[in-house]
Amino acid sequence: MSRDNLLLSVNDLSVTFLTEDGAVKAVQNVGFDVGKGKTFALVGESGCGKSVTALSIMRLIPSPPGKIVGGTINFRGHNLLKLAEKQMQRIRGNRIAMIFQEPMTSLNPVYTVGDQIVEAIRLHRKRTTEQAWADAVEMLRKVGISDPQHRVVEYPHQMSGGMRQRVMIAMAVSCAPSLLIADEPTTALDVTIQAQILDLLDDLQQQNAMSILLITHSLGVVAERADTVAVMYASRIVETADAEPIFKQPLHPYTQGLLKSVPQLGYRGKHLPTIAGTVPEPLHFPPGCKFHPRCPIGADDPRCRTAEPLLRQVLPGRLVACWYAPGYETEQERKEYEARYGKHPNPRPSSTAQS
Amino acid sequence: MRKKQQQHKDWGVSYGELIWREFRKNKLSIISLAFVIFLFIVAVLAPFLANSKPYFIRIDGRLHFPLFADLKRNDYCIFLAAALAIVQLLLIRRNRRSIDPSIRGALLWRQLSVSTVILITGCILIYIFVPRRLDATDYKAKLAAGRAANALFPPIPYGFGQTNLKVREQPPGPGHPLGTDDVGSDVLCRLIHGSRISLSVGFVAVGISTLIGVFFGAMLGYFGGKVDFIGMRFVEIMMAVPAFFLIITIVAFFPRSLFNIMIIIGITSWTRDARFIRAEFFKLRKQDFVQAALSLGLPLRSILFRHMLPNGIAPVLVNATFGIAGAIFIEAALSFLGFGVAPPTPSWGQMLSLGVSTSGRFLWWLTLFPGLAIFLTVMAYNLVGEALRDAIDPRLRKAP
Amino acid sequence: MKQDTENIQTPDQAPLLKVDDLRTYFPVKKGLLRHTVGYIRAVDGVSFEVRPGHTVGLVGESGCGKTTVARTIIRLIPATDGTVIFEDFNVLKAKTAQRRRLRRDVSLIFQDPYGSLNPRMTVGNIVGEPVKVHRKLSGPSLRQYVAQLLAKVGLSADSINRYPHEFSGGQRQRIGVARALALQPKLVICDEPVSALDVSIQSQILNLLKNLQAEFGLTYLFIAHDLAVVEFACDIVAVMYMGRIVERATAEQLYQNPLHPYTRALMAAIPKVNTAGRGRKTATGGEVPSALTPPKGCPFHPRCPLAEQICTNKRPPLEKKNSGQQKDDYESHFVACWKC
Repeated sequence: MSRDNLLLSVNDLSVTFLTEDGAVKAVQNVGFDVGKGKTFALVGESGCGKSVTALSIMRLIPSPPGKIVGGTINFRGHNLLKLAEKQMQRIRGNRIAMIFQEPMTSLNPVYTVGDQIVEAIRLHRKRTTEQAWADAVEMLRKVGISDPQHRVVEYPHQMSGGMRQRVMIAMAVSCAPSLLIADEPTTALDVTIQAQILDLLDDLQQQNAMSILLITHSLGVVAERADTVAVMYASRIVETADAEPIFKQPLHPYTQGLLKSVPQLGYRGKHLPTIAGTVPEPLHFPPGCKFHPRCPIGADDPRCRTAEPLLRQVLPGRLVACWYAPGYETEQERKEYEARYGKHPNPRPSSTAQS
Repeated sequence: MRKKQQQHKDWGVSYGELIWREFRKNKLSIISLAFVIFLFIVAVLAPFLANSKPYFIRIDGRLHFPLFADLKRNDYCIFLAAALAIVQLLLIRRNRRSIDPSIRGALLWRQLSVSTVILITGCILIYIFVPRRLDATDYKAKLAAGRAANALFPPIPYGFGQTNLKVREQPPGPGHPLGTDDVGSDVLCRLIHGSRISLSVGFVAVGISTLIGVFFGAMLGYFGGKVDFIGMRFVEIMMAVPAFFLIITIVAFFPRSLFNIMIIIGITSWTRDARFIRAEFFKLRKQDFVQAALSLGLPLRSILFRHMLPNGIAPVLVNATFGIAGAIFIEAALSFLGFGVAPPTPSWGQMLSLGVSTSGRFLWWLTLFPGLAIFLTVMAYNLVGEALRDAIDPRLRKAP
Repeated sequence: MKQDTENIQTPDQAPLLKVDDLRTYFPVKKGLLRHTVGYIRAVDGVSFEVRPGHTVGLVGESGCGKTTVARTIIRLIPATDGTVIFEDFNVLKAKTAQRRRLRRDVSLIFQDPYGSLNPRMTVGNIVGEPVKVHRKLSGPSLRQYVAQLLAKVGLSADSINRYPHEFSGGQRQRIGVARALALQPKLVICDEPVSALDVSIQSQILNLLKNLQAEFGLTYLFIAHDLAVVEFACDIVAVMYMGRIVERATAEQLYQNPLHPYTRALMAAIPKVNTAGRGRKTATGGEVPSALTPPKGCPFHPRCPLAEQICTNKRPPLEKKNSGQQKDDYESHFVACWKC
């Protein structure tokens, strides 16, 4: 991605939580780029570290016990991790905004929705109270809330879940941020409302040339809305690619297993394919590749059990972290394997079979 | 011991253990708990610490044990209770080490019921069979007069009812390390025996209020609807009456006895527990695991005591520790105002009221030491209560 | 009794569960004296059958009443009207002995793996207590039974002395399944059993449920909001909206030929895991109306692209759509729409 089109660049980010049971490595060496006006999706199951990554960009990780132990986050030429708190406050809500999963707990129940939007506007823009309230009504109309003049003085509990989410989006985009971080924005909503909200985000993205960092566990949402996808597992990114290639031809066994195990309309089989086992606890990550105990290839492989594969580019725009992904292994590594362990299990792979 | 624990590594850590571990981390709470335990020991062993009778004395060549012979029925009951409590704690420890977690709950209940039965029958038997005695012999005089020898007196060789008008209103000094009061009784001795009064008021009053409150609150919380509507109005009426004035009024009508005070404090302070349990039960009633228990047709007894109560008891336990502190404080206040226990029964609050004597002198040692005792005790219980609350809270949040 | 869940049974198979015009209304009380000002019609005339060995699905979004139907059938919520016949008796008017039968023969798997297990009880007690109460097993024989149950759901025997908080969401759900099977029920109501689980665990649990059904001859009433899950897991699917069934058909029929506009909207709104459907959808506008003041006539008409005058006035009944083949009502395609 050329410099001009790059809005956010996360490099080698690592976040650790110091708990009484030990140091929890929530995020390890995570890196990705978000282009201007594009949607980047971080996909993974609970506990993989995607929400922590998003919060780190906003520097909202509670500082004890959390600690950003490494990496840089470059946004418009600045490293966000090195900014003073005051400068960060000018960015939050203004240039980078965030919406969360549970609108009920993210909106303050004792203030009207108008109050909350106006607060965000007045914090970052020089507007009089009247102007700010007019802006708020306009924002509500933009996010598709009918009758905004009356809605603007309502309280969150008077609104439905979908509407509250729209209010949160209104608050977030009120200052026209260049990056919107959406942390599971539709997980708590019904599927018909989900479609409405995602459409709304699409529209806003086009109107404001806004980039979206979408955090979700729903592969369907990612397939339909994201431009680029990074799959996270147990604190690491295991695969990054544009949406179409990753869904047509996933390279990492976790991605492959995940795509196969989601029930889809029209599936006629008697049983669903599954990924055996469970997600490892952060305090007890397995040695070597974190996915190997559940991996059809890696469970018995001595290298997968001991050496952790890091994210590598195998094709333009495609990064994978798997020894057996096509194009991953260097000749040197293959020779080392054969010298150490004997016969290499896979024949020289050409291109991966269809998932 | 560690080997045994490794054998049981597939035993889960129960809720109680989790809370205890969390509790232990706070140094201040351990100190407060230690002080509470220290007070208990003082209260139980009071007659051995401060008594006008010696442990043993040789009279006319024969060895007598006046202190032991003079132990009252109350003392025996208290010793029995303390012994049972120690046995119970040891049993809990043993259970934790070597009994299945799945059986532990029922076993604990059985042990507790057996202990309670032993305690009650023991006390009844003590009251029946131990005669009332009063040994008025002045052993010190005998010793001084040379008619006895080889006596060992307790560290504070005065009885709490013992008066000696010759040494009244003495500031702290040799012989009376904390001074004497207006009738010549030793202050330290009365402080020690007064701890029994304070602690028993604390526990009995809180015991009564918790029992009433939990029963009431559980009924309102479980049944809801009309039962709750009427019940809450009753609770609100009870709460509208200022408790302290109610206590004073009732105490004015009834004879001044420790027993009455304990009961009265208990029945005027149950409303808080009731509201806590009611709120918890409302929440729990809607929880899936309670619905699951109902859908499986489990008996009501099990749903209330196994499913709902253990999960809702946490705020009540915390409130109980604060309640003990409060009850001790109320008793002291009552005694200070003259409505509490009557002399010669020693009470910290009553000792406080003697600070300003009839002769106009300010007897500072009668204010400072009982005041300090009340202050430290109340603070210790409050700190334990807060530490308990802190220990429970993060567990509640971490558990899901 | 092994049942092949693929083939629907012969038409004169007696239903295990027959729900007829079930209604559950919740009174809304206001004021100091708590007088009733209105009703929330959570379940507003629902009828369906469940035949032995089959899986019948109730699908719909939040507030459609599917969970209320489940809890009404099992008598956790009092019904306002209608009948629920389980085997040979009306559940809603059951006497004590019949109620006991109900508790044994019908069990419920809950949605929330975190709230559905008593945090203060060990797993062994959670699964074993109903067995102790109803079947009077105790001691080593109880332990053995519980261990077998846990093995059937994929948990090891040393889980018996552990507490729920030591298990992951998927494992807790397995404990919930074990508890539901403890009394060897005939009908298991699965109330959103996989909605709260991670994607890679959902398929494990769905497979587990299917295996257990085959092994023990269970009958399922499966409730979910995810049409894809329901289609995979169920033989017959009923789509619910605002307390009513708006369409009912076999899973295949529903997928191939959804008739009701709401069903179509649901299917269109589901994100598909392939990049073919990218871009903006013409999402169905509007939201589920307030349950206190449902719209007159067809409840979906404010959001329906096909709505007409009659839809705003008269409530459409659930009618069979003749698809040519003379099939039993059980497998036929029913729709509640004036425009279909």
